[in-house]
Amino acid sequence: MPKVVKIPLLLLGSLAALFVVTFTVYFLNLDMKLLSKIEPFFLKHYDKMPRKNYV
Amino acid sequence: MTIHNDRTRIGDQNLGVLFNEGKVRRRREWRGVKDTLYDYGRWLYIISILARFIVKPRNIKAMFRYRWMANYLAVPHMVDKFTMGLRDEPLRIVHTAMDFVVYDVAQTMENIFRGDRRTGNDEKFSARCVLTDENAMTAFMMGFPTLKAILREVPTMFVANLLNQYSTTHYLDVAQQAGIPGDVCPMPEAEAGISIEDDFAVLGACAVQVNTTCDGSLMGNGIIAKRLEREYGIPTFQLVAPMRHREADVQDYAAQDIKNAIAFIEEHTGAKWDWDAYFECAKRVNDITRNRLAWLEMNSTNYPQFVGAPFSLYNDTNYMGNCGRSPKFPPIDRKIMKYAQHGYEAKRMMAPEYRHRAIIWGVQPQYVIDMLNWMIHCWGIVPLTDMLSMVNTRQIAEVDTPENREQAYYDMAWLNENMIMRNRTHGGYKVLVDELWQFCEQMNADMVIMWEHMSCKALDGMHGQFEEQARERGIHLVWVCHDLCDPRVYTRQAIRDQLNTYMRTVMREEPLDPTIEFLPDEKAW
Amino acid sequence: MRDLKHLQYFEDLLQVANNELIAQAQSEGKICVAYPCENVPEPLLNLPGAFSVRLFAPNTGSTDIATYYMTNLLCETSRALLERAIEGGFNFADCVISPDGCTMMNRCVENMELLKTMGKDKEHFFWQYMEIPLKDDDNNLSLYKLQCKNHILDPLHEAYGLDISDAAIRQAVEEHNRVCRLIRAIGDFRKGEKPRITGYEFHVLTLATYVCPKYLIVDKLEETLEELKTREPDDKPWRARVVLVGSEADDSGLIKLIEEVGAFVCADRFCMGSLPGRNLIELNDSEDALTQVCRAYMHRCQCPRMMNMAKVYGRKQYVADVAKEYGADGIIYEQVKFCDPWAYERTLGSVMLRDDYGYPVLSVDRPYNIRSSVGQMRTRVQAFVESIEIKKLQRGQTE
Repeated sequence: MPKVVKIPLLLLGSLAALFVVTFTVYFLNLDMKLLSKIEPFFLKHYDKMPRKNYV
Repeated sequence: MTIHNDRTRIGDQNLGVLFNEGKVRRRREWRGVKDTLYDYGRWLYIISILARFIVKPRNIKAMFRYRWMANYLAVPHMVDKFTMGLRDEPLRIVHTAMDFVVYDVAQTMENIFRGDRRTGNDEKFSARCVLTDENAMTAFMMGFPTLKAILREVPTMFVANLLNQYSTTHYLDVAQQAGIPGDVCPMPEAEAGISIEDDFAVLGACAVQVNTTCDGSLMGNGIIAKRLEREYGIPTFQLVAPMRHREADVQDYAAQDIKNAIAFIEEHTGAKWDWDAYFECAKRVNDITRNRLAWLEMNSTNYPQFVGAPFSLYNDTNYMGNCGRSPKFPPIDRKIMKYAQHGYEAKRMMAPEYRHRAIIWGVQPQYVIDMLNWMIHCWGIVPLTDMLSMVNTRQIAEVDTPENREQAYYDMAWLNENMIMRNRTHGGYKVLVDELWQFCEQMNADMVIMWEHMSCKALDGMHGQFEEQARERGIHLVWVCHDLCDPRVYTRQAIRDQLNTYMRTVMREEPLDPTIEFLPDEKAW
Repeated sequence: MRDLKHLQYFEDLLQVANNELIAQAQSEGKICVAYPCENVPEPLLNLPGAFSVRLFAPNTGSTDIATYYMTNLLCETSRALLERAIEGGFNFADCVISPDGCTMMNRCVENMELLKTMGKDKEHFFWQYMEIPLKDDDNNLSLYKLQCKNHILDPLHEAYGLDISDAAIRQAVEEHNRVCRLIRAIGDFRKGEKPRITGYEFHVLTLATYVCPKYLIVDKLEETLEELKTREPDDKPWRARVVLVGSEADDSGLIKLIEEVGAFVCADRFCMGSLPGRNLIELNDSEDALTQVCRAYMHRCQCPRMMNMAKVYGRKQYVADVAKEYGADGIIYEQVKFCDPWAYERTLGSVMLRDDYGYPVLSVDRPYNIRSSVGQMRTRVQAFVESIEIKKLQRGQTE
């Protein structure tokens, strides 16, 4: 297949794949499901930090 | 009078299908091909904002330094909340407004961490920053184009609570452990808690605090200022917004204190007040006012377009946080206006029917829940406007003349006094009680959803008057109690149940969408 | 100690808001100016032909009706006052002048107005709300003067024909100072190892000067001062000396309770106390009296709503100075339940007085009527007194 056809086809294919992946993440709310699992690690980290608590 | 939607909603009909008992939703909403793809596109845009933000090392450092940053994991979740059930122009209006709010907050945080001594530590930049309260009209910054107003409490406390209902509970505990009683408003209490725990970013040449919104804000400022001054060497100025703001005999006083604030900023930053910049901002402020009044007029008709928490939040951001300073807001206003006009002409509705037209009054917990959007879909109650959006309606001087330069101080003072929410909770019972009934008449409302923020003494103090006067006028007054950003006192469902109970027992109605009458979102962000 | 001759008389006067002296003064043709807050300059309410009465609600029981109107999360003082007004307990007032100071007091008075609790059959009755300073500077002084003119002097003149001239104000100040001199002189007997007056007795006398026509009690105050000069103090020492700091304390039962535990209330830095409420106002001839009165009130104001940082720090310095002057061992910060300004002031104040000035501090909130919480308060104060005694012992051992 000539490059002039191959490259755009590859590009189109990649975009299509990207669309499918991102749309799946979007629709199934996978981004928020993942980040909600990460949150507790951050909270534990904050709890361990030394603080200068005073009024 | 019930207005029926002659179009059927495309996509998910029963919105309860989106919820389980988890922290986040089961999935996103199917809105038909066109609107789902639109929403997906906006989601990509939001993700790109977050990605651009998080790649900077100083912002990553901030993520690990400040507890409140963890709430920003939930940004797309917040946008989903406010767009629930929407299609066509209403969907586009909310996205236009809220996506821009996300962008604006990201910019604010960029600035904060750039100057913050603990993260970016850009000292030259920090020297051009002026810390301001989140509950302050930033009108006094309109003539300082080379300086940055840093509303550091906005991302720390206010926006964080839009994202996660539990964002402030830790700070409330810190404040109460330090001795502040639990009956005070949780908003300034949380701010005090953040200061006590040293979880505010530290930057700026100086700070300007204001006594708005209320006694709690006024008093919490002292705790915050003490730390700023004594530990971080950042001088503070307390700007006065008179309580009796409708009276003529306080305006000289208010204007003079604006002058004093400006002199303070000039002294500590070396910047000089720029009248050209000021009048440029003044023009934008007038534009904001005209747009807001146009939206309100539209909402007075049978086909309101720009409503609910996004209307309120966009107004807060534009009117108060921006106050004419950014040229990025007018195009957003125009875009929203275009969608709103289009939607109005097409008679777009957000629900299968509108059964009631409600004025939302009181201190509303739009930070915690998206109840106004829920109200539309569950009960067909369309929120025409809210107390926080009923702010300044007059045009300020926008042409540079010697007389207008003097008038400008009065205009800035007027804006300062008419800070959102505060312009109603203070200033006497006329602005809080009497004018509510006038708005009901003007906007043809048959219902008032009265947010009774239990710690808001200014509002609670008029409980009996609201009750009696609503009865005299035959207006359905639905009391909905909450404790603002402390969901441990009233959960989201407990808040919604107050409306549910009223609609079933008094109005004897069945919900439009029974699948969302009870939502398992106690654990949700 | 031997009972003060007029103490019972003053105690009886304080049992009701509408005491007999108010009726006596009104029968003499004087106008009763009622007010709820210390930020209204008192001398201006005591011009020739008028007398001031600070609203209070002694022996408050239920506040159910006021709670309906204002909910149970507003401070108990504001609800108690509204309840009393609804009951008709303030019908003696010929006008009400209220500052828009703290939100709760403002709502209290607004409800009084909307419910038409006063002024019935009084043709010239009026309600006035005034703006008051939030800071201590020239701009705020200008405001204060204008507000006093527009919301105190002019209405009194227009409604009741009172003389509001500079001379009239000076006369009112002189009469006010006469009472202040007496109270401060009586208060000085709290200093020293063996005080000749208890904090409770002093509070009764001071409170009377707020809620009764001053000119009708001044003779008894003078007699009391004379009596104190020769009064034999008790031999038994107090366990501790404390400064009481905080919000409205118009319930002498609170002071009595603290003293029953053995803590002598040597200084009263609370609203309706003598510090700074009974400071003299020194006038000169080079400036008009109104300006000087306003300046005096603004400078000395210890209300926590004064928000410039000099005032925020200054209030703690003032408490420390008072503690030093009166030989206090410790400080009690108190607030009426649900008072927002004092909630924060109490937090900051107790930390600063402890950390910056080295005083032991007890920080409490309390009901408006202490009788509903006697046991709890007694326990807190007792523990505090014991901790002071232990510190004294430890200090004695190290010295």
